[in-house]
Amino acid sequence: MSRVEIEARLREPWSELETDPGTAFARQRDGATLGIWIFLASEVLFFGALFLTYTAARLAHPEAFAAAGRETNIVYGTLNTAILLTSSLTMAVASQAAETGLFRRLTLRCLAATAALGLAFLVVKGFEYREDIEKHLVPGAHFALDRGPAQIFFAFYWLVTVVHAIHLSIGIVLVVRLTVKGWRDPDILAENPQVEVTALYWHLVDLVWVFLYPMLYLPGRSG
Amino acid sequence: MSAKSPKSETPKSEPPKSETPDPEGPGIVWRRNLPVWVVLMALLALSTWAAYWPYGRIDTAIGFGIAGAKTALVALVFMQLKHASGLVRIVAACGLFWAAILFTLTLADVLSRMANR
Repeated sequence: MSRVEIEARLREPWSELETDPGTAFARQRDGATLGIWIFLASEVLFFGALFLTYTAARLAHPEAFAAAGRETNIVYGTLNTAILLTSSLTMAVASQAAETGLFRRLTLRCLAATAALGLAFLVVKGFEYREDIEKHLVPGAHFALDRGPAQIFFAFYWLVTVVHAIHLSIGIVLVVRLTVKGWRDPDILAENPQVEVTALYWHLVDLVWVFLYPMLYLPGRSG
Repeated sequence: MSAKSPKSETPKSEPPKSETPDPEGPGIVWRRNLPVWVVLMALLALSTWAAYWPYGRIDTAIGFGIAGAKTALVALVFMQLKHASGLVRIVAACGLFWAAILFTLTLADVLSRMANR
């Protein structure tokens, strides 16, 4: 990259680093990667606590959780898992293509595909929520299943899928932001650490869903 | 830290920067990531199928085992932990380490209560 290009990507203030723009940029890249990983590690603990609550409740009420798990729509759940895993592929390709600084069009297309797949996930989830509400799977006075602890399962289902959807929505906004930036200025994404940071966040949101899939959709299928 | 970060090492010798990258260029990125996606899809299909096997708890174990395998693939290849610096790997491991403590101590309590009921 030329000096001008590097300076366009450097975050102010960097002049205190008392080094040349190339070194300062390399340090900022490393700092960005380390910073997002620290955030992701804290997210692992946030979702870990939620998953642990589920584990303890499921150990205490295995039959009710199996009966409740059978009520979720496995077609929507599996489809959404496939959508998110595919979006991680396009995100990874976008990030690695941006890192080489060579494949601008590929980066841009893959970012757009990632955002589109994220939106597709939310649409499918919306249809699923509508069906869940029609089947009275919202905990409360009109809950469909007669087993009390099944309400714990669905309380967890609603809480954790909504929290996940919020995370995904933030991810979509970040990816769309990069797409718009890259569309206006094709050079801006090349070697830009913002692409990698957004990608790492996106993969974490995908991985949370990878664990939610066996928790919410697979219990009680064989019974 | 030097100006050359470990990430800036791209596969193969990098051609000089130009407006027209070499024809097989983007193929490198796809060849690295597409096989992982194929395996991820196969694992998803397997976990869905396995959930219907009549083995009870083993089905559950397979479901979560496959989730772990998918996580390893995404983390190592898509999130590039395989090529990350030691510092980044330690931070990533820290998340799992503290989560493991959270699970171990809590489940030690929950499971021992269940066993003594």
